[in-house]
Amino acid sequence: MSTAISVAGLVKTFGATRALDGLDLEVTTGEVHGFLGPNGSGKSTTIRVLLGLLRADSGAVSLLGGDPWRDAVALHRRVAYVPGDVTLWPQITGGEAIDLLGRLQGGLNRARREELLERFDLDPRKKARSYSKGNRQKVALVAALSSDAELLILDEPTSGLDPLMEAVFQDYIREARAQGRTVLLSSHILAEAEALCDQISIIRHGRTVQSGTLTELRHLTRTSITADTDRPVTGLGSLPGVYDVLSENHRVHFDVDSDHLDGAVRHLTTFGIRSLSSAPPTLEELFLRHYGDELPPEVTGGEAVPAGAPQS
Amino acid sequence: MTTVAERAAAPPTTTPRGLALAGTGTLVRFALRRDRIRLPVWILTGAAMVAFQSLGSQTFYDTPQALAAYRASVGSNAATIALAGPPVGLDTVAGAVAFEISAFVILIAALMAMFTVGRHTRADEEAGRTELVRSARVGRHAPLLAAVIVAALACVALALATGLWATATGLPAAGSFMLGASIGAGGLVFTGITAVVAQVTSTARATYGIVGLLFGVFFVLRAVGDINGNLLVWTSPIGWAQAVHPFSDDRWAPLLLCAAGTVALVAVAVALLDHRDLGSGMLADRPGAPHASRGLSSPIGLALRLQRGSLIGWTVSLALLGLVYGGLAESVETLLADNEEATAFFPEITSAGLVEGYLATTFSINALLAAAYGVSSVLRARTEEAAGRADPVLATATGRATWLASHVVIALLGSFLLLAASGATTAAMRVAATGDADEFGRLFDAALTYAPAVWAVAAVAVALIGLAPRAAVAGAWAVVAYVVIVAMFARALDWPDWVDDASPIGWTPSAPIDGWTLAPAVGLGAAVLTLLAVGFVGFRQRDLTTG
Repeated sequence: MSTAISVAGLVKTFGATRALDGLDLEVTTGEVHGFLGPNGSGKSTTIRVLLGLLRADSGAVSLLGGDPWRDAVALHRRVAYVPGDVTLWPQITGGEAIDLLGRLQGGLNRARREELLERFDLDPRKKARSYSKGNRQKVALVAALSSDAELLILDEPTSGLDPLMEAVFQDYIREARAQGRTVLLSSHILAEAEALCDQISIIRHGRTVQSGTLTELRHLTRTSITADTDRPVTGLGSLPGVYDVLSENHRVHFDVDSDHLDGAVRHLTTFGIRSLSSAPPTLEELFLRHYGDELPPEVTGGEAVPAGAPQS
Repeated sequence: MTTVAERAAAPPTTTPRGLALAGTGTLVRFALRRDRIRLPVWILTGAAMVAFQSLGSQTFYDTPQALAAYRASVGSNAATIALAGPPVGLDTVAGAVAFEISAFVILIAALMAMFTVGRHTRADEEAGRTELVRSARVGRHAPLLAAVIVAALACVALALATGLWATATGLPAAGSFMLGASIGAGGLVFTGITAVVAQVTSTARATYGIVGLLFGVFFVLRAVGDINGNLLVWTSPIGWAQAVHPFSDDRWAPLLLCAAGTVALVAVAVALLDHRDLGSGMLADRPGAPHASRGLSSPIGLALRLQRGSLIGWTVSLALLGLVYGGLAESVETLLADNEEATAFFPEITSAGLVEGYLATTFSINALLAAAYGVSSVLRARTEEAAGRADPVLATATGRATWLASHVVIALLGSFLLLAASGATTAAMRVAATGDADEFGRLFDAALTYAPAVWAVAAVAVALIGLAPRAAVAGAWAVVAYVVIVAMFARALDWPDWVDDASPIGWTPSAPIDGWTLAPAVGLGAAVLTLLAVGFVGFRQRDLTTG
């Protein structure tokens, strides 16, 4: 397996602001890689460096085996890009913008273009100034997806799309993966990343804080358990990997590390379980633990989180 | 919860009229804050031009003889009348100041009013900011009226500043403030005109284009009216403003006409606003092409598509201006023949020499306009970049140099086209008047002499885009302002030679009086190439910057 994108120790500053602070990112050819982080964490800056629109201050950056700054034009024939904030020329129609961007990139598949326009329900005859945010995003998506680029770089491509269109988008990303194309998908919508991505990198304050497969990352998350028991549960708080225990008569609620789920449930059975519900581990929870507090970047699954940690 | 509480507290008896204006005061204060640098710059520029002119004229025409000679030369020069205004009050130095400068400061006032109203109405609406503002407790008419109030305040401030500075340089106070009032009144009418046009178009760019065109039309109407001394001047708001005749008649009636015209225009704008949706103009968007034409498949194709409207508009305007200039050249001869005073003072002046001098002046004015176009066209690249529209193009297999070159090529060829178009129409009018077909080539070549100088000004904008993108727009227009001010004042105010030498226009021989020479063209060519190289290298080295 070869590497499509390799970034190591990337630093980018704007005046006094350190937008990227030693970021690492490794994307293998053929995978859909989720690039997650909250607003302002440096996702778009990283992508603009990858496209040669910004120059790295330091660090090693390689895109499809080339230098994204020096070899920009040659590399861009093999890359399609959807910006996070799609701005189009007000007096040019959506159809014209799609054709223009496709031709500048090196040609687009006409049949595919028509199919995408239909699936995304986009009127190509409207001038761009009358498009909504979602429709502008569709223009950029149709242009990118109807190209034969081997690498798709998508910066929050679905933030303006409705759920129906989001589903269409997901179909096309799965199709791209089936064709062996590589996708770098920046997002803060975790459900989307969970649905599509093979690998995920989470960044914060311009640094990579977690990276791995969905399964590996899920491993770091906790399951949330609520149980009604015959007798009030005691001694749960002293078990390893159990957090935020809340008991109320015969009902108990707690979070447990995935590694210690077995032990905790065994402990519960000794009090006679009458009902048991568990919320599966989600990326969201991992995400909130990384961003909802001021923990250092090298957080591991075993660290405690104060109950009711700020979420916004 | 807050919303409910506020709603309950709001007086239930507010009339619909009051609601339509709700929030106007807040928006006025907000607009004044946004424009706290821009408006003082416009106002000080206008007032300073009057002050410079006052100081210059007082030095120049310090004796009654000098003033009489001036009066004689102006009375016989249609070019000066076409550019300046009605030749009245020339028996005092103060009157000469008003005659020479008022048209330029009215232009400043009109531009200030146009950009102020446009920025706070159509530009905000286009960017979606008005939608956000209107979603708050802000009435339908409030953003428009706030923009009009801010522009009107700026016009009043310009009028007062002009009056103060003119008085401070030694002109009679009453006339100074009448001069200020006539300038402010001109700006006021363009406040109203822009308010109407902003309702009709759907983009700020189109608003500025149409208002600019209207200014040109009104300027030509008053020029023709002033030369022939007829009622045509009353068809033009610029004519109204200048009919105040400061320092001589000090007439109030034209000021009232300007005020009434402004009120009527604003009323029309409000009525139009009531009949359209937020975000749209009066004309609905027609569906466009579902596919891009073959022309739209390269960076130059895109740049041409983006710039063609403005290029066509400028070319047609300059061709018409050249036509008017060429036609007026005949009046220069007629006026001289009729003017005994002038022939007495300038026995050595022949009508042919006067026509040559007149044509040289008009060609240099065309060169200044072509330079302004060149800069605006180059800056289109920066606008594209700042709006984030360069990103998707440069993320394709399009190199930075190719992308920048696509706009620069249009700027250089386009400004050449403007010189050629205005030169050709002037030359054709002269051929028609003199019957000498050889005149065409001679005058056409003379008009093109300015090409290297025009390119040099545009090339400064390219260099700025490469080196200092965020300062490029302000910096490039500052260079244009410098070139214009030097062309207007350097000789009259006897400024040191280096001031004129620093302007590319100053390097160019005054064709057709002086012939084309190699040295300045080579020097300017080298400057153009150097500035372009600096710009392109800088642009390839730096980050793209949006916003």
